[in-house]
Amino acid sequence: MTPNFAIIGIETPHWRTPRLWLPLFLLWIPVILLSPVIILVLVAVAIAARTNIWRLIAIIWGILCSLPGTHVHVRAEGNQVLVRIL
Amino acid sequence: MNENRRQILEMLAAGKITADEAERLIAALESGSGANVGEHSASMAGANGSNAATVKTRAKYLRVLVEADEEMTGLRGPTSVNVRVPMQLLRAGVRLASLIPAQAHELFDEALNKHGVPLTLSQIKPENLEELIDHLEDLTVDVNGSQGNATKVRVFCE
Repeated sequence: MTPNFAIIGIETPHWRTPRLWLPLFLLWIPVILLSPVIILVLVAVAIAARTNIWRLIAIIWGILCSLPGTHVHVRAEGNQVLVRIL
Repeated sequence: MNENRRQILEMLAAGKITADEAERLIAALESGSGANVGEHSASMAGANGSNAATVKTRAKYLRVLVEADEEMTGLRGPTSVNVRVPMQLLRAGVRLASLIPAQAHELFDEALNKHGVPLTLSQIKPENLEELIDHLEDLTVDVNGSQGNATKVRVFCE
């Protein structure tokens, strides 16, 4: 399943943002609109890497679909960054 | 015969679990919940005083936890890193290696050798990488700082 939401939280000693829920599924709209350009880029990359374009698409799709569950939380000097992909 | 079932029967044969426990494990296995099987076997192995031969469950995430000592980092306040990466992402990521052009392999090999890593990238096949990820599930790294250094690093799969 492709990622649907990303939760981002940034906090410094002076200010903090509320946890932002970014609706990643809405990115499908620009992706669909830009699909001709994306396909051209993928073809160029496939030619440069001398690989099959379908294999390239499968790898990118695999990475995209395995992103949900990723969690990164870093805290240093009172600053905090949280990124979660759901 | 499925591998998990065989392991349960082997544990039973070795006397590490009782027939009742084996039955419960097999029932959990049939219900299709791998996590439950792991929990059952872990608790049973613990109850029997044996830590060996638990039914292996597939790890879903690679966790990296770092708690750095204030004196070591030179930063004010605690420094911590908590990263959870899906194993599936690692599997998908290593497939990217197959996209590296053959011409770049030599450059990579040269750079790795220069840094004391005698590795030939062209000899690493996708199936080797898959195997590497599979074995990563058994990896646990636990590092504790010494001599007053309270830094802790933990790398494990869950």
